[in-house]
Parts: sequence; C-alpha cells; structure tokens
Amino acid sequence: MFHRRIYQFFIIYFIGLFGLMLVKYSLNLSDYVIPGFNEIWDTCRRYFGLYFLAVLNTLAVAILGHILSICMATVVGIIGRLTIWIGSFIRVAAYNIQAYPIVAVAPIIFILLGDGLSSRLLIAAMICYFPLLLSFIGILSEPVAEIEHFYESTLRMNWRLQVKIRAFENIHKLVTVIVGSATLAMVGTIVAEFIAANAGIGYSIRIALYQSDLSKILVALFLIGICTSLYLVFLEWVGMFIRKRLGSI
Amino acid sequence: MLLELKGLNYKYPGSASDLFRDLNCQVTQPGFHALFGPSGVGKTTLAKMINGEIKGFDGEISSQQINHVLYTYNLERLPGWQSVQEHLEAVTPESNKGNIAALVESFGLQSCQHSRFATLSLGQQNRTILSRYLLQDFDLLIMDESLANVDEITKERIILKIKALFPERCFLYISHNVVEVSKFCKQILVLRSHHKDPQAVSLQGQDFRDGRALKKKELEHSMLEIVNVS
Repeated sequence: MFHRRIYQFFIIYFIGLFGLMLVKYSLNLSDYVIPGFNEIWDTCRRYFGLYFLAVLNTLAVAILGHILSICMATVVGIIGRLTIWIGSFIRVAAYNIQAYPIVAVAPIIFILLGDGLSSRLLIAAMICYFPLLLSFIGILSEPVAEIEHFYESTLRMNWRLQVKIRAFENIHKLVTVIVGSATLAMVGTIVAEFIAANAGIGYSIRIALYQSDLSKILVALFLIGICTSLYLVFLEWVGMFIRKRLGSI
Repeated sequence: MLLELKGLNYKYPGSASDLFRDLNCQVTQPGFHALFGPSGVGKTTLAKMINGEIKGFDGEISSQQINHVLYTYNLERLPGWQSVQEHLEAVTPESNKGNIAALVESFGLQSCQHSRFATLSLGQQNRTILSRYLLQDFDLLIMDESLANVDEITKERIILKIKALFPERCFLYISHNVVEVSKFCKQILVLRSHHKDPQAVSLQGQDFRDGRALKKKELEHSMLEIVNVS
C-alpha cells in the first residue's frame, strides 16, 4: 500500500517534470520561464526545510479540517437518515448545497474571519464536507433489510444499532470516501492559503507565483505530493485495521 | 379460532391485477401448519400482512391468543461483528437463555458457534437464523422457506424438535415441498391464483411427530389432495 502510493506519486511527478523539460528544450524556452534541472535542484536544497515545515503546517490544518468534516458529516448523516421531515429536509438541502462551488464562498469567509487559522480550517472542512456528507447520508439512510428485519420484529432496534449495522455493512465504502476526501481537505487548505493566508505551503506558492519562480513551485508540489500520499496511506492503514478488528475482512 | 383472515383484497401499488380477491381462511388451533402454493401466488405477501408489515388492504385479519407474531425468511443475515454464539446470547431474552444450548445441539450448530455468519454454509445460516427466532417470545412464527438448503435428515430432526419443544405455539411454515408439508403439518393452507374460488383451501396434513407412526397411504392421500387443489 505504502510503496504503491509512493511509486505512483514519483512516476506521475517525474513524468510531469520530464514533460516540462521536453517543452523547455523543444521550444528553446529560457530558464526564466521553465528552470533547468540544476536550478530546480539548487532551489530544492535551499528551500526544502522551509517548504517542508510549510507543508506540515498545511497538512495539520487539512487533517483538522478533515476530522471536523467527518464528525459533521456523521452527525448530519445520522439525522439525515431519518424518514421524518427533518431527514428529508437535510437530504434535499445537502444535495442542493453541494451543487454550489464552495470555493466561491471563500472570500466571504476571509472577510468575516480574517486570514488566520480559522479561515483555512473552515474552508478545508467545507470543501471536503459535502462529498462526505452525501456519501454518509446515502449509506446511513439505506436500510439493510436482511439484518434489520429481526431487530425491528423483536422491537430491539434503536438509532445506535441501526447506524452501527449500516456503517458496518458499508465499511469499505466509508473508508474509500474518507480516503478520497482527504485529498479534498488538502486541496481546500491550499486554496484557502492561495486566497489570503499568512502561513502554509499555499501561501509560499503564492509568493513564488509573484516572483514567477517555477522551481520553487515544483519543489512545493513535490513536498505536497509526498505528504498527501503519506496521509492517504495512513488513512488506508487505519481503515484496514478497523475492518480487521471488526472482522469484515 | 386462533387466526382468521376474512374477505382480504389486495393489489400491489402499480399492479394491474389483484393478488388476493375475497381471500378467507382460518387457523383453528396451535401447531405446525403450512402455507403452500405455487411461486408468485402471494404466500410471502400474506405472511407480511399477518405480521403487520403490509398494511392498506381491504378485509380483516383477526386473532385470538396471538399477541406477538414473528416472520422470518431465509435471506436474513446476522450482523457481521458477532459470532453465532455471541449473537444468540445477545438477542435471547433472559427467560429463554436456558434453551440456547439445547437448541444449538438439536440444530447441529455446535461446530459453528464461534464462527461469523458469513463463513457458514447456506444450510447452517438458515438454521442459525431460525434458532434465534425460536429463542424469542412469540405466539405465531411464520417461517418463509426457513429450512431451504438444509438436508432432509436435519430438516426432519429440526421440525420434530420444534414440534416437541413448542406444542402450544403456532407455526406457519411456507414451503414448496409437497412431501414435507403433507408429512409434518397439521393444517395446510393451500393458496391459489385469484382466478380460482375459493382462493385459499384448508387441508389436513399428517402432523407426523416423534413416537407416532406414519401411515403411508394417508400421506399419499394428503399429497394428492394438495396437488389436486393447487
């Protein structure tokens, strides 16, 4: 799992890098537009430590936002599974709101909350929240009749048992959705830092962008990719551990 | 009269034809009874109507001395986080916990007590599902093909055990097997297409049980009667 993700990332990253070099040398572009290998390597040595800390900063915010959105999606998903009006209201609202691009709301959040941690956290959580919520509502509102029938018939069913049955039966889907939304959390945090933040790798990329320094951006992308891959591997490992403990694999 | 179905009319929403048209039948005494009929005639639907899962039909279902109806079918599953034993312990009322061991032994489930449901054979799964219902408090248990995929010898042992353990309770056994309903059931409700009148016919089965001799001639007669009626 670990090796596969890292290999995949290295393959994609270096294919992209060689593609850039191909464009540079075939069109005879200057180092100012696309820097050469030596300049990228030099930038890497000089900025690796600084950017690594910035990526860790971003990753920490993304993880916090991800956890926040998982908690929110669980709570709202539990309410949204209800067959009474509040359940259907939440389901309809979730489907409608997720159709709106949340990134477009980001400037309002910065105006209201400023460019601190809270804005980055909120945007990260919001961007990965709706895909999570839709999946959670779908999974938790779908009855598992072959198991639930007995508990309904013998009047043993309660909301905790119902959620447990549905979550257990769909644990593979839940893990896949959580792992998938982790990338979105990282994307959300970086987008927030692009717009207006004073820390994180998105902020560093924004400065590099103003300086038109592609080598800094390439180094930042490399570190973002490595750290995100490691976080995804960690989540997959947690998912596998939970499935093993529950006996579903 | 334990259970009486009077003038039932039912049509599935969106369906063009009636499933039941003025259906009448009764179960008069406790025991192991059968609900028999060809596929698609409405046995499961009728079971769900008796159980209260299907509402919105014309007619009346009345019962005396039957307060708690349970309905079990052969596609049910146990939750994956429990072994068979853990599940039986968890869902059996305190007053019935003493029966678990005897039932597990009679149903031949000793070897799979510590296994998860998904790892059991189809026959073991059906026996496990049925055993947990038998450990509940009920007055009428509707068994919808609950012993499908169980070999004939084990099936006979299980049915005889049920009859011996619960002589005062009422069972409605849904099956397509003419031999087993003729042999083991006391009253056989044969359900027919709504074009036929009456739609349900009640016949007497041999009600075979331990210690009672089986009369082959009468068994053949019951089987012929069921085939002719249905």
